[in-house]
Amino acid sequence: MTLGRAAYILMLLSPGIGLIVVFIGAVVYIAVAQSFGYYNLIGESGFSWSFWIEGIDRKSYLRAVRYSLYVGLTSAFLSVALAYPLALWLRKPFPGSMTISAILKAPLLVHGIVAAFLFLNVISYHGILNQMMVWLGIFDEPRRLQNDEHAIGLIFLQVWKNMPFALLLLTGAVQAISDDVLNAAQDLGAGAWQRFLTVIAPLTVSAMQASLIIIFIGALADFTFQTTIGPTNERSLAQYMTFMKDRGRWNDAAVVGVTLMALSLAGSVLLAVVSRLAFRGRRK
Amino acid sequence: MIGVSANGLVMRFDGVTAVDDVTFDVAPGEFVTLLGPSGCGKTTLLKMISGFLQPHAGSIRLGDEDITRVPPEARDTALCFQSYALFPHLSVRENLEFGLRQKRLSRDERRRRVEEVASTLELDPQMDKLPNQLSGGQQQRVSLGRALVMRPGVILFDEPLSNLDARLRDQVRILIRRVQRDFGLTAIYVTHDQSEALALSDRIFVMNAGRVEQADTPEALYYRPRTGFVADFIGGANILRGRLTAQTAPGEWAVDTPIGVLTARVDAPRRGAEVHLCWRPETAELAADGLPAQVLHRAFQGHFTDLAVATNGVPYRIQVPRTQAREGDEIRFRIAPEHVVVLEAGP
Repeated sequence: MTLGRAAYILMLLSPGIGLIVVFIGAVVYIAVAQSFGYYNLIGESGFSWSFWIEGIDRKSYLRAVRYSLYVGLTSAFLSVALAYPLALWLRKPFPGSMTISAILKAPLLVHGIVAAFLFLNVISYHGILNQMMVWLGIFDEPRRLQNDEHAIGLIFLQVWKNMPFALLLLTGAVQAISDDVLNAAQDLGAGAWQRFLTVIAPLTVSAMQASLIIIFIGALADFTFQTTIGPTNERSLAQYMTFMKDRGRWNDAAVVGVTLMALSLAGSVLLAVVSRLAFRGRRK
Repeated sequence: MIGVSANGLVMRFDGVTAVDDVTFDVAPGEFVTLLGPSGCGKTTLLKMISGFLQPHAGSIRLGDEDITRVPPEARDTALCFQSYALFPHLSVRENLEFGLRQKRLSRDERRRRVEEVASTLELDPQMDKLPNQLSGGQQQRVSLGRALVMRPGVILFDEPLSNLDARLRDQVRILIRRVQRDFGLTAIYVTHDQSEALALSDRIFVMNAGRVEQADTPEALYYRPRTGFVADFIGGANILRGRLTAQTAPGEWAVDTPIGVLTARVDAPRRGAEVHLCWRPETAELAADGLPAQVLHRAFQGHFTDLAVATNGVPYRIQVPRTQAREGDEIRFRIAPEHVVVLEAGP
């Protein structure tokens, strides 16, 4: 390729890629710089490790990291684990399958904050769930279900909101596997679980990786669900960052922000590698 | 070696009967072909044998075992797919090993079986390639090898040659038959190609509208078809309606047909009875004292000439080794009585 041609291609790409690089680059640059003491909005600016050293030393920081990783990883794994059987079930059209598929994907159309409040209504003290439990005789009286300390409600909501996305990606991948290939595996003695492990998962690993990574990043940085229905004894990284910012501690907030980005990157790489290694096999 | 038998198999799809009361026996080590036009139920029957379809009625036995409700993964059968159905993410070696891993055979046993089959099918140089790096013929051999390493009681073929070109088809056809004999396998083979069926099979089950019209050796089907459908489907016979008029010799009767009087061998004759006759175009011989026919079209085929002829407006075909007859000429021919077959049912 000649230099002129390379420059021509670069020029054509620049309106798209250039904008992305500028916007992402600017955000990353500001966050990283701020975490090292630059762009200090309320004091003297200058290079310093102190924000990182103090930040990492705080128990609340480590706890937020641990909690966000728990929410991110659990939500990603559960969403994909639930989406797979549904994708396989809906692989072949049957009467009503379009309707079921549409209903399953409906949460994609519901905004996160709306979903959180809907869920809150369902599990609240006088909500439908408590009423039903009392009516069925399972509960003697209504119980406090919201803001549970293990974040079960929050993870349920994350899965409810994200599973359709995984389903969307996995359905296409699963549908691309021919019936004959699956039948051949069965004919050669593979039961349902073995067919999944040896044929379906390796052939859909790219969709699986994409689902895991995108859901993980979203859930890791969750703010809306956490502040609405999350446990009150835990803070997510996003919540922690906002907490710092609200107190004018921009550099500390930047430390949390960079941590969030680094965890997103590291987690994504880890999920991609682990899923590839777990379902080893060369791709077409 | 193990045999397969079916009794009263019925399969319906949305009220349409795809397989209708089919009963058969396949002996151990036998090569049987299910032959018929598209939609006759042959693949449905194969899928019932392999376990991918559950019959609405009837039973299937593999040896002494009733396998009607046994799932495919637990049956002692192996299926070669029309599309090859190789696992695209696995190498040839891994494809061949797939079933053996499911059986949890030892590494040594797996390697031994795979190497034996790879050597037989000349797949050694391809072992580390992915399926998409192989030609159609090589893919078909991997598909065959993947079934063979399992050492199944019965091997099933679903139109395995239909995606290959003519030259490869011949090669793989010979290979399949050789391997089936060498490994002593019971084989059930589905095809709509009658030449493939004739070349490969110990017996052919000719299917039509979900039923087995005739189950016989290739020679018997060709020379002694029982129905007009079989006569026409296997090799394209001339079929005529006629009436028995008089006995000409012991066991032979004159039959009055629209093209003239033919002599046929008849087992249970009844004077005046209406019958359907068939004969093969190549059994006709040109003879000065034979039946007259006008040549409508002539096609030289090398070792024979195919003549489309007509008598009294009734068209039919004859094939003769050598002739100078041209379109519009009148020829005369005769057919020996042993080549004229009385059918049980017309077309």
